[in-house]
Amino acid sequence: MPHQCTSCGHVFPDGSKEMLSGCPDCGGNKFQFKPGSVDDAGGSSTDRSGSPTTDENVTIDPDSGTDGPASASTDSSSPSADAGSSSRSAADPAAAGTAPDRDAEVTMTPDDEVPDDAAEDDAQASARSEIVSPDELAVSESSGSGTSSPQDGDETREVAGTRPDDATEPDDATEPDDVTDPDGDADTAESDSGLDALREELNDQFESIRIVSPGQYELNLMELYDRQEYIISLQEDGRYVIEMPGDWGPDDE
Amino acid sequence: MGLLTNLKDSISKVSDRLFADEEPKRIGIYGPPNAGKTTLANRIARDWTGDAVGPESHVPHETRRARRKEGVEIERNGRTVTIDIVDTPGVTTKVDYKEFLDHDMEKDDAVRRSREATEGVAEAMHWLREDVDGVIYVLDSTTDPFTQVNTMLIGIIESQDLPVLILANKTDLPESNIQRVANAFPQHETIPLSALEGDNMDEVYDKIAEYFG
Repeated sequence: MPHQCTSCGHVFPDGSKEMLSGCPDCGGNKFQFKPGSVDDAGGSSTDRSGSPTTDENVTIDPDSGTDGPASASTDSSSPSADAGSSSRSAADPAAAGTAPDRDAEVTMTPDDEVPDDAAEDDAQASARSEIVSPDELAVSESSGSGTSSPQDGDETREVAGTRPDDATEPDDATEPDDVTDPDGDADTAESDSGLDALREELNDQFESIRIVSPGQYELNLMELYDRQEYIISLQEDGRYVIEMPGDWGPDDE
Repeated sequence: MGLLTNLKDSISKVSDRLFADEEPKRIGIYGPPNAGKTTLANRIARDWTGDAVGPESHVPHETRRARRKEGVEIERNGRTVTIDIVDTPGVTTKVDYKEFLDHDMEKDDAVRRSREATEGVAEAMHWLREDVDGVIYVLDSTTDPFTQVNTMLIGIIESQDLPVLILANKTDLPESNIQRVANAFPQHETIPLSALEGDNMDEVYDKIAEYFG
């Protein structure tokens, strides 16, 4: 869905990074979604054909997979096997994005998780491929709480947990699976069961402080106790500042 | 011979005092929020130094940064025990700003307090690992001591082989149930007290000297 500047009406295509530094026409920094625009088609060019959110039948064709004939012959009798095979083929962003065979569409049932998985993989692929630009960081900081200033000097290191309820451990922040796109490309209608399950799994594995929402926290005391470094500042956007063991003097060890 | 023995005695006395002076034990006051940790820390500090440690409040998580009172000299039976008292934020597994809204707090303040309290718990857990030589574990004797936090913290303290003194606080309240606290941790001695009223502080000081001296 494209975005629109609320002050001058300038329209940005879906997924535009341009708006992150303000509206180029009027400098405004407030935007809204602009539904039903012709730019919708443009938006779908960014690997989003697998999204289950539109009411048009934009779906993934299992026949585009490598085992097309086999799945075509069995898709009524063993849908679960199909789901697995198409999931594997759709996991490749290129396959999902470039081969939407609309003549032979197969409408997925609502409880089919294949489109969800595909969309999640796309989002993660997108997140992996891009490094957060300084502009985005600035936007993120200013939209945060504003109560704690970034202390990313020599003494502290700021760690990006990218979602409010996904405060990851610093050691794992560099793992691809932990990093989702901070500009929110993937948080529209894809916050589905698959993403929840992934988040839960990450929480179980890594969490020492879970930010449920601003002002609401769950703490894993054993994790906090076991860590050598300790958290000295939490920020509302899921980031937090920690003191690293390397910053301590010899007396502290 | 007698001269040598005297000399030996005086040397060991001097060295005892040297070591005692150099390294007072750091005693962390731990426990869940609102158990009366700061009230106790203030009571001890006022009794022996004349100063307070920090503000007390019935609103949970008043203490959100560990506060230290150093060189508190407690005299027991002609002996002096010197400790540093570390008053820590209340340890909990959940912090919710909505809890503070009941105490006439604006939402922004409640959210900030909540965040600071969470940071405080992280700090308290960190110091438990790094920086305390003994623990005074304070429990509100009017509430159920069988909680995840209490079990976990006592377990951590035991695994560290730290000396721990369990205090059943708020005995001045009618709902106080000292036996319930004693039953929860039968492997440790439980000392009842009211830090607010100063009840039974003599026994508390006796035990501090015994455990941490």
